[in-house]
Amino acid sequence: MNNVIDLKEIETIYEGEKIPVIRNINFAVEQNDFVSIIGPNGAGKTTLLETINGLLDYASGKGFVFGKEIKKNKNIIRKNIGYVIQNFELDPRAPFLCKDIVMSGRTGKIGIFKFSNKKDWETVCKSMSLVGMIDFANRPIGKLSGGEFQKILLARALAQQPSLLLLDEPFSNLDFSSRRQIEILLNRIHKKENITIIMVSHDLSFVPAGCRRVVVLDKGQIIMDDKKEKILKSEIINNIFKKKEGGN
Amino acid sequence: MIEIPLALFLTSVLGAILAGFSCSTMGVFVVRMNLSSIGYCMSHAAFAGAAFGLMVSIDPMIGAIIFSFATAFILGPLSEKARLESNVVIGFLFSFMIALAFIFLNLIPGQAASAKALRILWGSILSVTPNDVLLLAFLSALIIIFIVLFYKELLSVMFHRKLAESSGINTKFFYFAVLFFTGIAVSFSLRIVGGLLVYALIINPTSTTYQFFYDFKKIIIFSPIVGIISCIVGYYVSLMSDFPIGASIVIVSALFFATAIAISPKRRKKNGKKPV
Repeated sequence: MNNVIDLKEIETIYEGEKIPVIRNINFAVEQNDFVSIIGPNGAGKTTLLETINGLLDYASGKGFVFGKEIKKNKNIIRKNIGYVIQNFELDPRAPFLCKDIVMSGRTGKIGIFKFSNKKDWETVCKSMSLVGMIDFANRPIGKLSGGEFQKILLARALAQQPSLLLLDEPFSNLDFSSRRQIEILLNRIHKKENITIIMVSHDLSFVPAGCRRVVVLDKGQIIMDDKKEKILKSEIINNIFKKKEGGN
Repeated sequence: MIEIPLALFLTSVLGAILAGFSCSTMGVFVVRMNLSSIGYCMSHAAFAGAAFGLMVSIDPMIGAIIFSFATAFILGPLSEKARLESNVVIGFLFSFMIALAFIFLNLIPGQAASAKALRILWGSILSVTPNDVLLLAFLSALIIIFIVLFYKELLSVMFHRKLAESSGINTKFFYFAVLFFTGIAVSFSLRIVGGLLVYALIINPTSTTYQFFYDFKKIIIFSPIVGIISCIVGYYVSLMSDFPIGASIVIVSALFFATAIAISPKRRKKNGKKPV
């Protein structure tokens, strides 16, 4: 099994609920792929990402990441998965410095009962430089703009030196210039660092140039999985997004 | 001013310092993890437990530990899974625990025991024993070891629990460890600060420190310092004025907090705009 991700007939249900959020998911990703998962709000994109890194348990099916079954090896596989969570509201007075947040990405990798050393701090500096945020190392995290905060979260995930990067709506709440900067950054990271990237977005126009494959998720199911060019030209996809926009 | 024997003076000062240290250190995590409502209920459960201990003639501290742990281990998973609103938790459990405590106090036989019960309610310098100080010293040492050993994990969990979990940290362990240490800190400090007020010693010094620093390390260092100073000044006020020690400590820590809010650089207006 050489795939980085291999999901077979996966179904995920939230605790206390009966209807699965995602179902019949068959999804395989090869090493160094850059895949965008797109779909309207409520399609199950975040659930799919959190099923991949084991934050949510699947109710049925089989899921493998790095050839290991997700359910049995959650903590092991997570050490090699960088996760950039959907932009969340942070208290502007939160008592954390950017460098500490980026270092927190390495916590699992360093391991319990061990302390961060000079090499760990070098990795932190390297990932902050990569996202162009090295000058912000000693700034309070709550003082950053949306774009800067997003870059720090990305640096945090990169400091983990992951083999797989999961990005949940990395462009949400960003203005055009910040969005463009992060898009360029993702393309660069993908080329330079040889990382497999899965990115979810609710907007068709947010698919980065470096991404070759697009998966369309609607109502918890994969309805299309093809090359980016084909998907973007598809009538079906335009209808889904038009219908949702009309409904709103 | 009250005159007390030197041995008792030293025991009670040391007890107040250690209670200030352990409660306000745990406060850093309780405040950041939004566990205030659970901790608040735990302190009142400890008070009810101490009253229960007196009623059945066992050491009140044992009763306090049992009750506060029972509350933590019922409320912890409940608030995690059911995502209970903190207002609901406080509204229900606070009144329930206080009601239980008053029933137990009412059932305590004899006058002397009633005086003991009141000391647990308000806190008292005279009720601190060398044994209490030893236990608090042991707890303080455990808390220091816990923080030094798991600082990087704690920082990660304090920033964002889901992100911490996604990088391979067992966040549940740290959540319950915080509840566990808070429960013990509350129970051990009960005789000094009093059941009704001990929780203020967890919240006030940390909230004061949060007004000044953006660095988590500094919060961990300065919160216990503010807690210890509150306890020493409160102790002095109590000796000078014959006020209950718990009330004096809480008034001092509340004044520190009010002053911190007034002069906090984090809350200073920029260009005439209020901070967001």
